[in-house]
Amino acid sequence: MDAVLDLLRTYSTTIAVIGVSALLALSVWLTLYAGQLTLGNAAFMGVGAYVSALLGRVLDVPFPLALVVGAFAAAVLALPLGAIVFRLRGVYLAIATLAFGEIVRVILLATPITGKGQGLNGIPPKTELWHIYLSLLVVAYVLWRVQGSSVGRAWAAIREDEIASASQGIAVGQHKLAAFVIGALIAGWAGGLSAHVTFSIDPSDFGFTKAVQVLVFAVVGGVPNVLGPILGAGVLTALPEVLRPLRDYRDIFQGAILLLVIIYLPRGLVTFVDVRRTRRLARIGAVDVA
Amino acid sequence: MMRRAAVGLAGVLLLASCGGGTATPSGNPATATVAAPKPDIKIGLATAKSGAANFYNPQQSNGALLAVDQINAAGGIAGAKLQLIVEDDGSVRDQGITAFRKFIEQDKVVAILGPTLSAVAAGAHPVAQAAGVPVIAISNTGLGIVGKCEYGPCDWIFRASLGEQSAVPETVKAATQKLGLKKVVIIYGDGKFELDDLTIFKEAFKANGVTVSKEIAYTAKDVDFAPFVTQAKGENPDAVVASSLAGPAGKILDEVAKQMPGKRVIGGNGLNSAALLSNANAGLMVVGTAWSKASTDKTNTDFVAAYKTKFGADPDQFAAQSYTAMIVLADALKRSGTATDRAAVKKALEGVSGLATPLGAFSFTTDHDVKQPTFVMTVKDGQFIPFQ
Amino acid sequence: MAEQLYNAVFIGSIYALFALGFALVFSVLDILNLAHPTVFMLGAFVALFAIGTLGLPWFVALVVAVLVTGLFGIVLDRVAFAPLRRRGAPALSSMISSLAVTLIVVRLVELRYGGDFITFPAGAVPAFVLRVGDATFEGIRLAIVVLSVALMLVLTYVLQRTQLGRDLRALAENPRAARLLGVDVERAIAATFFVSSALGGLAGVLLAFAYNTLDSKMGVPLELRAFTVMVVGGMGSLPGAVIGAYILGFGEVASLVYLPTELRDAFAFGLLFLVLVARPTGLLGQKSPDRV
Repeated sequence: MDAVLDLLRTYSTTIAVIGVSALLALSVWLTLYAGQLTLGNAAFMGVGAYVSALLGRVLDVPFPLALVVGAFAAAVLALPLGAIVFRLRGVYLAIATLAFGEIVRVILLATPITGKGQGLNGIPPKTELWHIYLSLLVVAYVLWRVQGSSVGRAWAAIREDEIASASQGIAVGQHKLAAFVIGALIAGWAGGLSAHVTFSIDPSDFGFTKAVQVLVFAVVGGVPNVLGPILGAGVLTALPEVLRPLRDYRDIFQGAILLLVIIYLPRGLVTFVDVRRTRRLARIGAVDVA
Repeated sequence: MMRRAAVGLAGVLLLASCGGGTATPSGNPATATVAAPKPDIKIGLATAKSGAANFYNPQQSNGALLAVDQINAAGGIAGAKLQLIVEDDGSVRDQGITAFRKFIEQDKVVAILGPTLSAVAAGAHPVAQAAGVPVIAISNTGLGIVGKCEYGPCDWIFRASLGEQSAVPETVKAATQKLGLKKVVIIYGDGKFELDDLTIFKEAFKANGVTVSKEIAYTAKDVDFAPFVTQAKGENPDAVVASSLAGPAGKILDEVAKQMPGKRVIGGNGLNSAALLSNANAGLMVVGTAWSKASTDKTNTDFVAAYKTKFGADPDQFAAQSYTAMIVLADALKRSGTATDRAAVKKALEGVSGLATPLGAFSFTTDHDVKQPTFVMTVKDGQFIPFQ
Repeated sequence: MAEQLYNAVFIGSIYALFALGFALVFSVLDILNLAHPTVFMLGAFVALFAIGTLGLPWFVALVVAVLVTGLFGIVLDRVAFAPLRRRGAPALSSMISSLAVTLIVVRLVELRYGGDFITFPAGAVPAFVLRVGDATFEGIRLAIVVLSVALMLVLTYVLQRTQLGRDLRALAENPRAARLLGVDVERAIAATFFVSSALGGLAGVLLAFAYNTLDSKMGVPLELRAFTVMVVGGMGSLPGAVIGAYILGFGEVASLVYLPTELRDAFAFGLLFLVLVARPTGLLGQKSPDRV
């Protein structure tokens, strides 16, 4: 029992990071589900992180409230972004959201109060594991219900064919914007949680690398259902720790595993979990959903 | 579906436990019989073997390994052998924290060395502080590592790597005197190290009555440095200051040689890199280092020779610092007479005074920072030589 | 001032040379090849190997590097992109698979050469200069400037006037129709990757020569610039990519001279954002932004 407790204590940060990564992956999953490819959620995470950390430090705002404000700050920032870019699609949208994210990051770097390039250090470790996993459970549940609701069906329709959806009377613009803003809200919340886990944040935590990483979680996990991004985040975050014994060759195996999954598992890692459904979908030819 | 998720998560954790590094069972000295050998003294080393800072290895690991080998060959500490457990911190905070936690919770080490980067230390050191484990920083040279830390009290943290706060003023003083500086321009990067250095340089120049007429910023993503040096040239400074890491510094050196011939480039610890020695314009630089290979102290010449024999290459400053930290720790362990009492080791570390190391006579200040001479150096014929 | 102008031209040329290969693959295959920075780096390291280990003179090393990276491009396609194409996977999957290949290749290079930057053996790299009146121009830098424009012109000519070019344009327009029209699609794709990667490798070697150093992460800063360059100049347009590169280069130097230092980075991305919002097709873009 002692050994198990030691194990859990050793990997407590990893488990926390997995939870946060899962939340982020869900935030990206949401926009992917609505047919939008976004690389901006890392920046929204950063906004949530900095706002909540600074509120706690400068104004002594209690932790839960700081998290909420951080998440809403991210959502508010997503409003103009969503409205402006909704007429872009695919790769263009991805690049626009990436550009937006980078601008946010640069502004973070330039504002003195954030500590600029030196980062914000000495953030009290207020996040407990249960905060993260409760949030994850709630968000996953809500998204799962939404998936089956009329809003969820509208998103799926938009993803398949925007013009047809519009002709059916679906308010395409509003639905896309909603996906963006809710995604940003979740990412901001995750950012606030994560800032209070590792004692310190700096702008490079929220750049291109992170944005791509989160996207990879969602896609590798699988887009068809809510479980996908969670699985993707879990496996890919745990992978470097699991591969520790491989030492210098770690990255090579990580790359190889990523490659194999993306090529041979079109529905992502979820395929392993939902075998029956995958087979049924494959039979009717609806294999890819991303 | 949720049940499968739970199973999945449990499976991941199980996998993670299988890959949990070299978890050795903790020895129990209390029940050792007279004839049983003493249990190993366990020490953790968190270092960047992969990721952005992976160029610190293998030197950083090698320095510590050499010290451990030598001490064990000489009989260990009162008969107990040292066991060095090395983990990769991946140059990222999360992995650094996990490495520290593993050392503390699973390996049950008596002390930890590392991690490599200050940004990673910002997350890892508080973990050790909270758990009451002594840490010796071996390559963190920025602000807020020891003494006054942003996360609260940090009395369990010691530093063996000469801080820029100590080195830079010496460099600036020497440069101002020998070059007759009145006006300089600082070119600086956007990372934590570079920004810390900028602050320290500015203070040092002010203290020496030199004007910093312009501060020019570049980012980690800049490829060409000609525009920055051209801007600097416009100010007509007496010297250029490069508050940067080695890669950009090399490009800055080349540009200054091209655009401002005859001007020197003053730098912080970032320029203190073996990779820069092969730069054709390395002779322009003036940098304060913690170690001089040319030092004729016996401890140093022995170290250089032993390193060369064991690893087939010359050591560099990183190796010298990790080696020194290890022998400092060993000295503290010997005086404390314990293999597991972390508080006793901490107290013994505080008592380190005038220990002979490759870095010179080594002591800790009351702030647990290293007290050692600064070597102000330049480069000639591919070697660091004292700056005259 | 004139000096900063030349600096801007040089920087623009670096971006252009790098972006050409990247833009080529995108314009023909709609793929964002995130492994392009890696072939860039690979070219430099192959040259290092040729010079340092095989003792070859620099011009031979250059040719070898270009050929090797071109061939690697074909391998890259076979391994990372072709299987996805066969099952009609979305563009996103290709991005991720190229990312995976990057992880592997960069690590392999680091295992052999370490993560720190390396200098070429003394005297191995050409260092000729051209003197025009008062000014001195470095040979390699000049070569980069000239080549970026020359290669763009050559590529455009190939695309417009040769059979291969027609095949590629047909492929870009509609792969299925191209196949029906008798285009050897597999050969065309292989050619695209060969040329694109060879260009990337060439850029890598030249840049390594220009700075006399190289490291495993040298492609990373250029990656993000490549996005900006393509979007500003117009997705799918090669001359557009080059023009976009020069706009970015000039913009960066201008913002260094005229803007407060911290906001410099925001310039590149602000420009990108503005173009995407106001004129998504970019300056010379031929593809509508609706193409995924």
